[in-house]
Amino acid sequence: MSAPQLYSLRGVAVSYGGAEALRVPELDIAPGAGLGLYGHNGSGKSTLLRVLGFLLAPAAGVLTFEGRRVDAAAMRHGHLLRRRAVLLGQDTCLLKRSVAANVAYGLKLRGEPFNGAAGEARIARALALAGLDYAAYARRSWRQLSGGEARRVALAARLALSPAALLLDEPTTGLDRASTEHVKAAARAARERGAALVVASHDLDWLRDCADTVLELKDGRIVGTLG
Amino acid sequence: MDYFSEGLSRAVALLLALDPETFSAVWATAGVTALSLAVSLLLGLPLGFGLGYFRFRGRRAARLFVDWMLSLPTVVIGLIVYALLTTRGVLGEWGLLFTVPGMAIGLTILGLPIIISMTATAVESTDSRLTETVLSLGADRWQLLAATLSEARFAMALAAASAFGRIVSEVGIAMMVGGNIKWHTRTITTAIALETGRGEFAQGIALGIVLMLVALVVNLLVHLLRGAAGGAGGGGTSA
Repeated sequence: MSAPQLYSLRGVAVSYGGAEALRVPELDIAPGAGLGLYGHNGSGKSTLLRVLGFLLAPAAGVLTFEGRRVDAAAMRHGHLLRRRAVLLGQDTCLLKRSVAANVAYGLKLRGEPFNGAAGEARIARALALAGLDYAAYARRSWRQLSGGEARRVALAARLALSPAALLLDEPTTGLDRASTEHVKAAARAARERGAALVVASHDLDWLRDCADTVLELKDGRIVGTLG
Repeated sequence: MDYFSEGLSRAVALLLALDPETFSAVWATAGVTALSLAVSLLLGLPLGFGLGYFRFRGRRAARLFVDWMLSLPTVVIGLIVYALLTTRGVLGEWGLLFTVPGMAIGLTILGLPIIISMTATAVESTDSRLTETVLSLGADRWQLLAATLSEARFAMALAAASAFGRIVSEVGIAMMVGGNIKWHTRTITTAIALETGRGEFAQGIALGIVLMLVALVVNLLVHLLRGAAGGAGGGGTSA
């Protein structure tokens, strides 16, 4: 008997305005797996991540998550799915709040402890995973952060949630080498804690470092596996 | 210039002596402004939020109507409210003409479109990336709405400050609907107009000083809020 998959996609397709943007005949992602998505702009990487992050419903095919079929009825309660699979998209921003409040926000949505000693410890752990010191950053305003720091705070906000799947879309674009290394370390740490990691990037070396398998996408199709 | 400096020194004396007639106008202004601003906020914030947040049929027409209300001359608002409240008017039985609540109706018609329009704009101009950010963290529909409201909070406070500034300095509506009745509906602006017309500069200047101080505080508040609300895209992490 094969091990249960976290994600299972069969014939999943997405169209924008009648034009097919993604077609995945078959893809399985195991719990704790590391999957890289490589391809040029418009290859379908972000679309696939948005499907896996339950921000986009497939127009066709069967998508299964944690053993349950994700159909229209399940998507009506998409927030419950998005609490298990969190996406750090290219268009992610911070809320106009402090760093600590940004990291605590997802916990608050879930009704989990976000203040007091337990909450602070959880926020501090998440910030540490993203390479940020709680004492130095927690009270800072969103405005006092550089682009790289803001990106790492957004990542910490997702790591704090201990998701079953962490989905990263071009997580290091525009970041300097130090920030890139921090993001890489955080992605590895998430996997060590049991999360499946799916990363889309133009940077093949980065993907090879973080993922077990790297899929190449072109024109919305998976065209091969890169070593 | 003598009459002005003499008026100024007498004005300061009136203020320091807490002159009852001068402060009667201040309290009338405070009362009518508070009442009309409260109603404007109570109605305008949810209406403005709805106009900016939801996409519905007739939304553009509603927006056009609000913008048109913004450009209505205050003397026309005064005329309409007067016509409604006069004894032969539709609301004549309520006996609100030449009363503080009657003035508040007119000033609410002035303040309400400001609140609606600025709130709608604030909600519309929240960071376009906010929706995906909040949803990706697991927010449901109501939590997304609450997050949008929270992100627009500074701009909505700015709307309130702007409406306050407009209402407190209005003279036409206050004069027409309030009747400028001493000890009753005489506000700072109507008192200044009256006293200046009578050549009594001291009380006019005294009230002008109060109004300018209020304007200074409101502008400081607006400046602070603009700073707090500014840079909506800052801290972004778009790659």
